[in-house]
Formats: sequence, structure tokens, C-alpha cells
Amino acid sequence: MRYYPTMGLEIHAELLTKSKVFCSCSAEFGGEPNTRCCPVCSGLPGTLPVLNRRAVEYIIKAGYVMNCDISRFTKWDRKNYFYPDLPKAYQISQMPRPVCLDGHVDIKVNDEDKTIRINRIHLEEDAGKLTHEGRISLADYNRCGIPLIEIVTEPDFHSAEEVVAFFEKIKLLLLYAGICDCKMEQGSIRCDVNISIAPEGSEQLGTRTELKNLNSLKAIAKAIEAEIARQAEMLDNGGEIVQETRRFNEAAMETLAMRSKEDAHDYRYFPDPDIPPIIFTEEELADIRATLPEMPEQRMARYRTAYGISENDAVIIVSDKRVSDFFDEAVDGCKSPKNVASYLVGEFMRRVNLGEIDLDVLKFSGKDFARLVEYLYSDKLSQNNAKLILGEMAQHGGSPETIADEQELWIKEDTEQLSAVIDEIIASNPKASEQYRSGDQKVFGFFMGQANKALKGAASPKAIQEQLIAKLRR
Amino acid sequence: MDIRRTRIRDLRKALDTKHISATELCSEYFSRIEAVDGRLQSYITVTKEKAFEMAAEAQKLIDSGKGTELTGIPIAVKDNICTDGVKTTCSSRMLENFVPPYDATVIENLKREGYVLLGKTSMDEFAMGGSNQTSAFAKTRNPYNLERVPGGSSGGSAAAVAASLAPCALGSDTGGSIRQPAAFCGVTGIKPTYGRVSRYGLVAFASSLDQIGPIANSAEDCAILLNTLCSHDEHDATSSRVAVPDFTERLGQPINGMKIAMPKEFFADEVDNEVREAVLEAARSLEAKGAKLVECSMPSLKYAIPAYYLIACAEAASNLSRFDGIKYGYRGEGATFEELIRDSRTKGFGEEVKRRILLGNYALSSGYYDAYYKKALALKQEIIKEYNELYDTADVILTPTAPTVAYKIGAQDNDPVKMYLADICTVTVNIAGLPAINTTCGYDKAGMPIGMSLVGKRFDETTILQLADAFEREFTPVLPKL
Amino acid sequence: MELKTIQHLCELSKLNYDDEALEKVASEMTDIISLMDGIKEFDLSYDDTKDNNSISFGEVREDIVKPSFSPEKLMQNAKSVDDCYVVPKVVD
Repeated sequence: MRYYPTMGLEIHAELLTKSKVFCSCSAEFGGEPNTRCCPVCSGLPGTLPVLNRRAVEYIIKAGYVMNCDISRFTKWDRKNYFYPDLPKAYQISQMPRPVCLDGHVDIKVNDEDKTIRINRIHLEEDAGKLTHEGRISLADYNRCGIPLIEIVTEPDFHSAEEVVAFFEKIKLLLLYAGICDCKMEQGSIRCDVNISIAPEGSEQLGTRTELKNLNSLKAIAKAIEAEIARQAEMLDNGGEIVQETRRFNEAAMETLAMRSKEDAHDYRYFPDPDIPPIIFTEEELADIRATLPEMPEQRMARYRTAYGISENDAVIIVSDKRVSDFFDEAVDGCKSPKNVASYLVGEFMRRVNLGEIDLDVLKFSGKDFARLVEYLYSDKLSQNNAKLILGEMAQHGGSPETIADEQELWIKEDTEQLSAVIDEIIASNPKASEQYRSGDQKVFGFFMGQANKALKGAASPKAIQEQLIAKLRR
Repeated sequence: MDIRRTRIRDLRKALDTKHISATELCSEYFSRIEAVDGRLQSYITVTKEKAFEMAAEAQKLIDSGKGTELTGIPIAVKDNICTDGVKTTCSSRMLENFVPPYDATVIENLKREGYVLLGKTSMDEFAMGGSNQTSAFAKTRNPYNLERVPGGSSGGSAAAVAASLAPCALGSDTGGSIRQPAAFCGVTGIKPTYGRVSRYGLVAFASSLDQIGPIANSAEDCAILLNTLCSHDEHDATSSRVAVPDFTERLGQPINGMKIAMPKEFFADEVDNEVREAVLEAARSLEAKGAKLVECSMPSLKYAIPAYYLIACAEAASNLSRFDGIKYGYRGEGATFEELIRDSRTKGFGEEVKRRILLGNYALSSGYYDAYYKKALALKQEIIKEYNELYDTADVILTPTAPTVAYKIGAQDNDPVKMYLADICTVTVNIAGLPAINTTCGYDKAGMPIGMSLVGKRFDETTILQLADAFEREFTPVLPKL
Repeated sequence: MELKTIQHLCELSKLNYDDEALEKVASEMTDIISLMDGIKEFDLSYDDTKDNNSISFGEVREDIVKPSFSPEKLMQNAKSVDDCYVVPKVVD
């Protein structure tokens, strides 16, 4: 039978606050075990949580970029369950009154636009880390209390591609908003997928399973495909889908049921009496909204209207915030943003994809890059030498001027040298010269090549061409 | 120096005039503790060595003229208030060896004043009880009659003050735990407005109800202590930003014209005759001083016990979940986390604590939440509303503190329902977050103290202190023979 | 109280009772819950927006990092290895 999958996502993203969400310990990633802890985040008796204002600001920003309604009244609840990575035995989260409700995010899949509805976004605390060592586990609470937002979508997805496109879009929005670093490998953004299938044409949704701990985009796509296949096979064989949590074994490409943490998932949510609810004024919300930086769509629009950049180039530039930030730096005060864009999308991105340029540790500035492009397009550097210089800048840093000076890569306006070189080439290739003069234009390319080789970019292609034509015709 | 029921201002004077040194004063109390506490069992931990160090430091402050109100004053602290480096057991086997790595905010406030810690006082386990008999360790007795309970849960603090084993003490009050033992032991104790005193470092029983407060020999002493205990605390988001007044400022001022409401439900049949008569007699004496008595009613009182126990136990079940044997506290046995946590909790908690955890989880569990917990929250709103209406026409509300005087040890054993019903006079004050003070208004035929409670408007401790002080000025307490 | 209910509560509470003790606590809980049932006749509903305990956004703590505790002090009551809490095997 053919089945139609339906999926909803729960995305957890750690917020880039300085301190933890309920105490003043550092919220930085990592650290020696239990060195970023205090009595509060370690759950000592008598301690109390005190909410971090920036975490609230950030979730409000997340709400705005995902077109949510921001609740004027919001409060926190306790989710009670026992697990050794949760020192208080309850997670502070939000149940009936989350900060953000009813949003939507647009995505594009296979050139088709689609809107995904956001059910809610709430603010909660992360749990600690357990390392399993044989018969014991070791608990490190450094991560306890790192602020997390949980973005819950409606079940609006029907393919792995849509899920991946949405997840990438969310990462982009969070990065642009400056509220999460979205480093999947460090777990700062995580994705759970609720997934069910139903016979095509059926109105009713099937029983759903939850895929947890998907830690890469590839894993998300593969796990969804594996789970859809598993459920389909189960139904085809007359089996029933059990509502359960499953994890993905990437090596075996299959999903496996997890033993549930608690026999009865009765989390006994109730309002946390230690954390007063918050009432926002319109002014406070407007102030937070005003601090939102330019988002990808706005940047796209600016690139297209202000700089006349093609849609294709603009999409490529904004789809990585680091590239877009670099571009903005490069074109600031630059005369030809369009040239910068095309060289960036071409040569620069080629090297990024080859791993020659590391966007996280760039050795040169946008300004350096813009000047390099400027030299290239004003015939001060040859194509080849510009590439050479970019390679040098990527590897060792430095300004294009210094590299060109040191390696004598500039195009020289020295016509005597040019004239002499061309004279010599013509003289040493009498046969080819004769061919050209008798009307065989094809050999011109040969002369250009010879001249380029001899001059090593010291003259502009235009100058070489002019001289060659003049001298060959003589 | 005679330290029996000696007030803070007299101790202050003796210290400041060098009539006695801080160390000598300390010794006086330890002598009495050593002589009496074997029978009374009010302390779990006596911090003698530390006390002498603190006294020496305090003396330096006094000698250099830098002493303040509480410099060198010995204070006993209930054993659910965290003291850095000093065992804090909550009278539970669970925390028998627990040494907090930090001080509660109230302890920091007292340290800044140069107080002297005498020790940690016994209590009902995790503050759950009204008799001190649920303590896993010292089961405190009543100084007026060693066969009777001191009340609870701050029974150790109240008994220590009553028996002059400390001039004053800290307690905590979730449903009457300062006022009721103060009443049973014939001393004065105030539960401040919710949010007045930081709860940071108070091992939580029910977070929306808990409040730390002083137990002392007089309303004046309570006022002096409140001046130091109250502060806005960045470690407690529920701590109030309302300005802290000088709580002693209205002591001694006339009370004429003050309107005192007495809701009739608090004087119903459940209240012993002798108690009712003593409180009514006290009301008449306040009337004679110029106060006006107002008759009134509080219909929701009949729901107060379930509302209180549902809210308190729901919060407690969650608050006490952190005791799993891993991070601190009694570590049981087990090859898996699940086995270890069950064994630790089963052996670490006493029966009453377990009952309340079960009740709390019942109230919160799916299918019961709306019928119990949510209903209790609705009642909380109703109780607050009724109090607000009473305060439209009254300045203060007067009630008995407990329906009976201190009862015999064992009288309520194995009867939780009876135990819960005995809290009827005190719990609504916690539900509404109001300030209330207990002061002694008489003794029954057997010589047991009877307490009355004055309940004030939110953040109006000053008025109830003024009124209690006015009453105390003409009341002569009888000292226990210990 | 039904045995099933009390067993579920014990599970939620992580408490063990032997058969005899379970029977006793079940009977105590039955009495306690019938006391609590008094609340059922009260018929007003709860509106969380009317609790008078909210604060303004301006009162929320600023995002400032303060020094953490040393693991030694923080974990002075715990069984630890390499500054980590020791947990027996977690079955999940």
C-alpha cells in the first residue's frame, strides 16, 4: 500500500546568554566537569531559581522571527520526572502559558513555497550530561540550566526534504537573530521528529512515534526515511504502530525503541511557585523587537535592490550568515558590490567548499577581499594572479597589495617590456605569424597563451591583445 | 547574669556597657543547654566551638564601637535553614550528615550583624507536622510539661526560647509552624508577609507558603530581629521589593481606634473552651485600651484544610524529589539508579513525609489535577478575596492560634487526619500570604500556655507588632520550671 | 484507595512499601483523601491571570556571570569520581 507520512517537529535550541537561565553560572559550552555549577544549578536543598532576562528577550526575538504571538502574561511550570541528569528531579519549563504561540515559517522545497505553522515556543532549562562507564554513570551538571527554547510545530510536514528545509531555515533565523550558535555537533540545536503514516487518501492520522537524539541533518533525513519504511512494513504485515520514543542507529540505518524513562509518563506539571509569572508591557515588547537585527529576507531584498545582485547570488550569500556578514563588510564603501558578489559566489565559495577557506577563522577581512576584486576588475591584476593572491590570503592572511608587491604580480603598464616580449614571440614563431596574416584567426589564441606565459600577468589581457594584433598585422 | 527570658534590649545593654562579654553570655546559654536540653531535646546540633569564635569576633566589634543591634546576641536556628559548614538535617534521616556549602540569606544577614550561632534546633521532619514528634532525631518536649508536645514544626526553636536555652530563634512557617509552637510554648513568634524574608537557603517544604520568621520573648524582640531578617534578595525571585520599615517604630504607640475583626468560624466548637475564653478575654482587654472589635465571618474557612494540604503537599512532593541519594543525603543501596533512588527515599524519609509526598503526587497526577490541585488554587483566590473584604473594615484579625493547648505526646500518633485538622486556625494566613504574630494570652488550668494570633494586612507587620506589644506590656508571663 | 492507585503513587514518588505497610498506607491515604474531598463542593474555577504574584519584565535578573563553586565544595556531600557524581547504572 502507499502511505502518506505526516510529521511534526520539536526543535531544542540553546540560547547564547552569558549566564545560565536560573542562576549566574557561565552558560558557555564545555568546561571541566562540574566547574560551571553552583548550589542552584546542582539542585542543592534550599536553593531557588532566578530567571535570566536575556533568555526571555531571546525567546521573544525567536517568537518575532517566527511570526508568533507573544503572550503578555507568561509563566513557568515544573515537569517532574526522575533522571540523574536532572538534579532537582523536575525541569523548569512552560506548559499552559508559553512565551510564544501560533507562528509560521515559510520554506521552499523543490522550488515550491510552503508555510509551516508553529504551535508554540517555550523557554526551559537544559539537563546535565551522563557518561556511562560500565556499571556506573558519571554526572556532570555544567550543562544544567543552559537556557533552551523548544519550538513545537504543527504536523505540517509530509517529506524528509520538507523537514530538512525547515530545520535549515530555523537555524538560519536563529543565527541571524543572534540567539543560538546552531552547532549541531555541540548539541546546541537538536531535533525530535513526531512521525506517523496513513494510507494515501485517508483522512485520519496514524499512531505516531517520536524520533529522538537526531544530531545531524543527514541523520534527520535518514532516520525519517527509515522510520517511514519501518512503519509501512509494519502496517503492510498487519502489525500495529506503538506510540513510543525511538532512536536512530546511523550505522544500521534503522530506528530502535527506547525503554521509556518512566513507566507512566505522568509529568505532573504545575506552576513553579519559585518563579513569579511575568507581565510584559507593549513598550517592552516593542523595545525587544526593535533590537532584532536584519533577517535573511531583508538582506536578500537589500542585496537585490541596493546592489542589483542576482537572486541566485543573493540566495547563496544570505544562506550562510558568516558569508553574508563578510559580504556586508566587503561592500561597505565599495564601488562595485556586484563584482564583489560574483567573485564571492564564485571563487570565494569555491574555496570555502574545498575547505581552503574556513569561515569561522577567516585570515583576511572583507575589505581586503573587496580591494582584491577591485584590482581584478580594473585590470590591475590578472584572473590568475587574483586567484593566486586569494589562495595566499586564505592560507596565510595578509593584504592583497602586500602579496602582489612581494611576488610581483601586478599588471605593469610597461609597454617596452610588453613590446619586446611580443616581438620575440612573433619572431620565434614565423610560421604561425604567417598563418595569422593569411587570415587564420585561430592561431591568435596560441599567441595570447604564449604572451601570458611569458608575462605572468604583468600586462593586462587587453594590452596584450592590442599589441599582438598591431604587431601581427604589420 | 540572669538570662531567663531576657530580652534582646537588656542583653544589648549588658553587652554594650561591658556588664558581660559576648563570650560570657554565650557560656551562660551553653550552661543552660547542658543542664536542661537532655530532657527538653530542643537542639539537634549545638555549635559551641563555632559560637565562641563568633562571640570573640562580635566582642571585637563591640569593643571597637562597630557593634549593631544583634552583635553578640546568641541565636538558635531551625535545622531547615542552611548554614555553611554546619550540619542542616531537617530532622530527617535523609539529611542526617548533610553539610551545606552555602549560607541561607537570613544567615548572611545575621552574620553581617555579628550574631552568635548557638546551634540548630529540632523540628518536625522537613517541617511536616505540628508536634516535633516526626523528627528523626531529637523529639522535643514542652518546657511547661515534659509529657506534652512543644508544637511544631519549629518546636525546637519555640521550646529553646521558652526554656531560655536561647534568647531568640529562627523558625519557619508553612501552615502555622512558627505561631503554633510559639503558642504551645508560651512565647512570641511572627510569620512575616510572604516575600518579606528571603527563602534562599530554607530547605523548601511548600514554596508558595514557606516563610522564615523569628521566635522570641516579645513582640519587640521579634521586631528587632525582623529589621535584620527582611531584605530584598536577588537569590529569591519571590522576595519582595516593598520597602522594609523599622519594625520597632510604632511599638508603644496607643492603639485606640484600631479595628480588630474576629471571624466567628475561628471560634467554633472545635476550639477548646479554655482557649476560646482566653482569646476573648484578651480581645476585651484590647478593647479596653481603645481598640474596636468587629464581628465578621470567613465562610471559606471550612475548605481551608484541604486547600492547604493539597497545595502544600503538591509542592512538597516536587520539592522533595531531588532527594535521590546521589548528590547529597542518605544513599541507599541498589545496582541501578532506579533501585538506589527507591531505597534511599524509602529509608531516608519518615512516614509522615512519605504520606505527604503520596498525597501531593495524587493531587498533581493526571486525572486528579483539576479536581484537587486546581480546585485548591481556586480556593486560594477565594480565601484571599475574603481576607481582602475583611480588611475593608478592619486593621487586624484576631483568632486563636490553635484549637487546643499543647497535647500529650502520642495523642495524635497514627492519626494524620486529626493532625491535619489541628492546623485550622493558622493555614489560611499562609494561603493568603499575610503576616501574623502569636503572643501568649493566658494559661489553662493545667498551666499550659494559650496563644492568640493577630493577622495583619500584607506588608503591615508594624501594626500587628504594635498591637501584640501593647498586649504584652500588661501581661505577665509565667516561666516554665526547668 | 485501590491497590492500583497507591502502587501508581508509590511509583511516581519512588517509594517502596512491603505488602503490609502498603495496606496500612493505603488505608491512611483513603482517610486523608476523604478529608481532601471536602474541597469538591466548592464550585469556583481558577483563573491564573488573577493571581496577584506576577512581576514586571524590568524586575527579571540581568544576564551577568558570577563565579561558580569549586567542585570540591559543591560536591562535599556526594560520592564522586573525577569531579563527577557517581550514579549506578541507568537503565533506559
